[in-house]
Amino acid sequence: MQRAYSGKLPKLRRLAAVNQIDEILGRCVEMGRPAYYLMDTVTMDNPSVLAPTVAAFQILAYTARSAARLGARFFVPVTQGLAYTIASEIVDEAYKAENKQDELKLDEAVMYLPDGADRMYIINHMWSDGMAGAFFLGSWYHKAVIFTENAARVGAMMLGGTDTTHNIPFLVAICDYSIIGEELYALGAYVSEDPTVSSSLAGQDVGKFIAVILIVLGSVLITLGMSIKGLLSM
Amino acid sequence: MQIPMILTAVIGLLMIIEFFFPMPASVTSLNVTLRSFVTIISATALILGTIVLTIFHTKKVGTRGSEWYYSIVYVVAFVVTAGLGVLNVRDTTFLWIYNNMTSPIGAALYSLTAFYITSAAYRVLRARNWNAAVLLVCALVVLLMLIPIGAILFPPVVPLGEWIRSFPSGAGFRGMIIGTSLGIMGLGVRVFMGRQKEHLGIREERRDSE
Repeated sequence: MQRAYSGKLPKLRRLAAVNQIDEILGRCVEMGRPAYYLMDTVTMDNPSVLAPTVAAFQILAYTARSAARLGARFFVPVTQGLAYTIASEIVDEAYKAENKQDELKLDEAVMYLPDGADRMYIINHMWSDGMAGAFFLGSWYHKAVIFTENAARVGAMMLGGTDTTHNIPFLVAICDYSIIGEELYALGAYVSEDPTVSSSLAGQDVGKFIAVILIVLGSVLITLGMSIKGLLSM
Repeated sequence: MQIPMILTAVIGLLMIIEFFFPMPASVTSLNVTLRSFVTIISATALILGTIVLTIFHTKKVGTRGSEWYYSIVYVVAFVVTAGLGVLNVRDTTFLWIYNNMTSPIGAALYSLTAFYITSAAYRVLRARNWNAAVLLVCALVVLLMLIPIGAILFPPVVPLGEWIRSFPSGAGFRGMIIGTSLGIMGLGVRVFMGRQKEHLGIREERRDSE
């Protein structure tokens, strides 16, 4: 990021998911049906859930703005009070940014559904609305299968992504497009309006290289029967 | 507009450094106070939300709004459950409501997963291409390993299934966990530096072309 401040922006590979967001929303516009943006667990005071929730909010900002620009109907059910307030603000800002406030009915676009009641409401409306596109991003647990399977039966085009490793296989297997693990965080930065933010992705890759080097080094040392602790104490 | 980001950065850093460095008692007690703020604010919001929801549904019943009969269910459930809970939280009737109504409803909703997993498995486990065929074979081996009759019918599935779970699957998941951890660190740096603020509902126009 420091290098980006000084004007040296790294070359970043375009994430396929960026195009897929617009593709899904475009399909919804063509078919005159809504797009659902689902985030599952959004407990803001749980550290393990907070990071994917923040990432999902960042992608929501981009998706809502694209939906406003393209004129796609957009529905964001949220199962937690604080997260609902934030999601409402994000969607409202996105429509304002595109000068489409008149097309937004915020109470209908962003809805608070208590955890438990959300499953039946969302499944029922998936079928009655005949939704054409869906985004499953954030911290997903068992509801990943319930919602994605219903969306697949309705015939929606889906983009799924989570960092909960035991649910990644479900989203990858059922969704048309998927982002895996860290791509959830990368996508939020990639679609950011600030190029210095997207530049931080290059820094993450440096971190990955360092991790790989350390893993290989550790494997070699363990294979040779040497421990780092022992080497350091010498 | 800067205040939410400054608060995020300062409070976030205070919480993080406590894990890595020995901090003075004043910082530790400040962190404890800040964490108790979360509980107090959440509880206040819960009370406020309950009051607003009850007023909304009571008004709806009074004015016979659309689908007002569902609101009767809410009002009755709220009055009975909250009333019994306030009178005596250890009251057997209150516990009966929780154990025999709330809990089974939650379990029933959770059990929906089993049915959808079955139909999802049917959708996924079809050898449409080479990748799907590998998935199908691995899934069959692991499933056979996990069911008691699998080891009797075909004993080699046990070591083979264990190998799949321990090595290819384990290595893949560990790679994902390392990548995810780095992603979370990157996200944390961007948020603490105030560079990424969309999650606060704050919009920033593009500063520069890519």
